[in-house]
Amino acid sequence: MNIDINHLKVFEVMTRLSIDRASRALSKTLKTGARIALSNIYITDLSGATEKMNEDAREMAGVMVNFHGNVSCKLLFMLPIEGTLILTDLFLRQPIGTANQFDEASESAIQEVGNIIAAHICNALVSNFDATLVPLPPIVHNDFAGVLFSSLLMEQGMSEESFLLIDTSFKILKTELDCYLFLIPELNSFKKLIDSLGVCV
Amino acid sequence: MKKILVVDDAKVVRMVVSQILKRNGYQVIGEASNGREAFEKYKALKPDAVTMDITMPEVDGIQGLKDIIAYDNQAKVIMISALDQRDALAEAIRHGAADYVVKPFEDDRMISALHEIFGDSTSVES
Repeated sequence: MNIDINHLKVFEVMTRLSIDRASRALSKTLKTGARIALSNIYITDLSGATEKMNEDAREMAGVMVNFHGNVSCKLLFMLPIEGTLILTDLFLRQPIGTANQFDEASESAIQEVGNIIAAHICNALVSNFDATLVPLPPIVHNDFAGVLFSSLLMEQGMSEESFLLIDTSFKILKTELDCYLFLIPELNSFKKLIDSLGVCV
Repeated sequence: MKKILVVDDAKVVRMVVSQILKRNGYQVIGEASNGREAFEKYKALKPDAVTMDITMPEVDGIQGLKDIIAYDNQAKVIMISALDQRDALAEAIRHGAADYVVKPFEDDRMISALHEIFGDSTSVES
């Protein structure tokens, strides 16, 4: 992994701007505040990251989005199954508690949240940093937190390598809904993009 | 009553868009979840307009747009996407999209787009 402290600092700014934009888009979509904030950026590997997720024993729904362009990244959004029901109600502008089972509508609610967050992260990187980047269609799964996390990453061929994990705190306001949102950038492509901006001395 | 085909891979989005359309006096004649299904339903149902997402599995919305326009060059297709990027917009317009609405959108933005393409001066319900 080849990224120095200056690159990392620029990268952190990029991340904050991107998730701010995604946060605003999601708030507008759900017509309630969604607050996504950067909480930690660290290098880990699959077992290290999964160990942390295994501490959460709840059944979750998760959506993985891959990005395509001159920079590469993956997004993983996860929340407890009961949280998907709240998202469904917010999407459909119906009283919270109306959706009562995880079905096609709730699966598509988490799918669309993944799509909106991913697209607005791309939009920010394209407009602010001259990246070329679009999200691919989201993939949705449900399982226990640790299993879901590791299986989604293994499907992406990330079982061996260490990677940079961007951890966020993600809250849907006026609900008790706390979600997981991880971004996993491909560092070499981001390093090239940062170098092309000429902001690192 | 104008007939609209709603295309999005997310069921909740199709439900929300359909609700907005019905509230504003449009008939939702069908739904599709990717570009291929959209093209098949366009031929079968002959809608007056299509709302089309871009990022969808199997066949995306740009290919769906191209197929529909190749079949009917008078087709009215409004792209509805979270992608707010110059290249995506340019590609959609180049291939014949009538308008481009960025998600998330206010209800009246989509209805205004429909009024515009139908040359309808009816006021928009907010």
